[in-house]
Amino acid sequence: MSLAVAAEGVTRRFGRRWALRGVDLAVPRGTVVALLGANGTGKTTLLRLISTLLRPTAGRLEVLGRTLPAGGDAIRARAAFMTAGGHAYEELTGVENLRFAARMSGTEAAADDLRGALAAVNLAGAADVPVRAWSTGMRKRLELARLGLRPLELVLLDEPFASLDEDGVRLVHEAVRRWRAAGTAVVIASHRVEDATRHADEIVRLVGGRAAAATR
Amino acid sequence: MSGLARRAAAILWKDILSETRARQGFTAMLSFAALVLFMFGFAIGVDNDLLERLAGGLLWVAIIFTGTLSLGRTFQNEELAGGTRLLRLYPGDPRAIYLGKLAGNLVVLAALEIVLFPAAAILYRVDFAAQAGPLLLVAALGTFGFSVIGTFFSALTVHLRARELLLPLLLFPALVPVVLGSVGATDAFLAGDPLGRAGGWLRLLASYDVILFVVCVWIFPVVLEE
Amino acid sequence: MNKLTMLGWLAITLIAAGSVLGLAVLPADALQGEVQRLLYVHVPVAWVMMLAFFVVFLMSILYLVQRQLKWDLLAVSAAELGVLAAVLTLILGTLWGRPTWGIWWAWDPRITTTALLVPIYAGYLVVRSMTEDPERRARWASVIGLIAFVQVPIMYLSVFWWRSLHQPPSSPQSMWSAYGLVMLLGFVAYTLAFAYLWLRRYRLATTELELELSGPGEG
Repeated sequence: MSLAVAAEGVTRRFGRRWALRGVDLAVPRGTVVALLGANGTGKTTLLRLISTLLRPTAGRLEVLGRTLPAGGDAIRARAAFMTAGGHAYEELTGVENLRFAARMSGTEAAADDLRGALAAVNLAGAADVPVRAWSTGMRKRLELARLGLRPLELVLLDEPFASLDEDGVRLVHEAVRRWRAAGTAVVIASHRVEDATRHADEIVRLVGGRAAAATR
Repeated sequence: MSGLARRAAAILWKDILSETRARQGFTAMLSFAALVLFMFGFAIGVDNDLLERLAGGLLWVAIIFTGTLSLGRTFQNEELAGGTRLLRLYPGDPRAIYLGKLAGNLVVLAALEIVLFPAAAILYRVDFAAQAGPLLLVAALGTFGFSVIGTFFSALTVHLRARELLLPLLLFPALVPVVLGSVGATDAFLAGDPLGRAGGWLRLLASYDVILFVVCVWIFPVVLEE
Repeated sequence: MNKLTMLGWLAITLIAAGSVLGLAVLPADALQGEVQRLLYVHVPVAWVMMLAFFVVFLMSILYLVQRQLKWDLLAVSAAELGVLAAVLTLILGTLWGRPTWGIWWAWDPRITTTALLVPIYAGYLVVRSMTEDPERRARWASVIGLIAFVQVPIMYLSVFWWRSLHQPPSSPQSMWSAYGLVMLLGFVAYTLAFAYLWLRRYRLATTELELELSGPGEG
């Protein structure tokens, strides 16, 4: 089985601070990996490295068959990263935010499709309301809708369950299940052990910038 | 439309939409520009001949000062939306981000100048209309050069503390050819170009625009790396 | 005594020799008088300034291509010397200009461009000081170091068109006089001094970076 993510000794330092010190990670395609660990152990840094946002200081990182940093563009076309803070423009409505994301991804989606994507995450009522007026949980749902816009081979989720109500958490689980069934690899970084591991094929625990244990 | 142009257009569309909804930014900028024009009047005194002679220079300084405030905000809305770097997560050449932001700044500066030129014409009693064609060309070249450099340095300083201070520090020296070229050509055209110097200024402006545009576009992806 | 220290001594000796020749041995200039002797320092220091900024440009490109921090350290070492040389050039120039032209400041292309270089490269240094992560710092600084050097010729050209007053550089013919030889000695001496200080500063920068990176997080 080919790997969606293959990391060998991946290291990243920010000045004198070592965020990651030689992490090995293998995520086969179509599997779900839960990335656990306390605050500041490097979960987000690892996701940012895989997403091509950061360059590793040392080590070898291969994503979707491409070696970083050279293959960045090919990776970005087939992978998506949902950051903990989300990515939404306050002055734009839900539909407009999705339309922007679609255009930036190189597709032009019909308004009905965008509304459908919002309805799927139970945001139909807020479709034409500027995001400014939205709650944090609603913004998380918008992120889910955004990831659903295009076919993906790798999905990186940073704290996807934070600020979500029960219905929202259920939507994340459903999305993860769908991705997995479609052969998309999913990496979930979260503190919520129960939720993060529900569909996980493998659990990786980061301690002090190192991958401490892989189970299941 | 190529992918690059399409994504640049998406950014332009998104920014214009945000700007027209928020609006305060542009209104504040216009008020500031008007104030600058008035300040020059106060500083120089009620000497109509002098004001008329200085009009070209005063106008361009007002554009540069006001525009710098506006250019500094180029990437602020991205920071509020989660971070400029997130734009890089979309597939394709990151230069689309630069081109889209550049186009947005051109639109904003053009809107500013549509108000500022008539205002300066009235306050400083100069007849821009008589030379409308050539002055339009000067304004276009000057504004383009200003935006090219301004957008670039705005991206470079967006993550820095004290960026409000650093942007002008880096930007103003880089603008010297733009200011000299624009003011030189404006003054020459206003005087009817008796010495035939306007062409030289325009050539200087155009070549600076082209060179800086090529360099900025070429090197921009490095600026957005994390 | 290692090679670098020898280079330093050589530079100092040559500067001393040039100063003695320029100040005491050569006669005062027929037209400009004693003040002309300032040029024996002013012109070579101005050369060092241009050399330093060119080095910043080259090192910045090397960094962006190879992404090795040593290029960035070599660039910043040259940038600091360049700013120092620019300020010195301006001071010496105004001291020379006051008696010669009768004014402290002339809006001449070369003076104006030199004066504008100071804030540009000061900006380069300030941006560095505000960025903690060494890689980011190197990346942003290299971009500024590259783009600044592209601007300079055009900046010069634009100010040249705007106004010109500066005395043209000496023609090769006049260089082969006693004046020319002392000037040439100055060029060699100050270039060596630059090389010495640059490499010294680079060593210091290397140590600084090592210190910076060896924090409590080292494991």
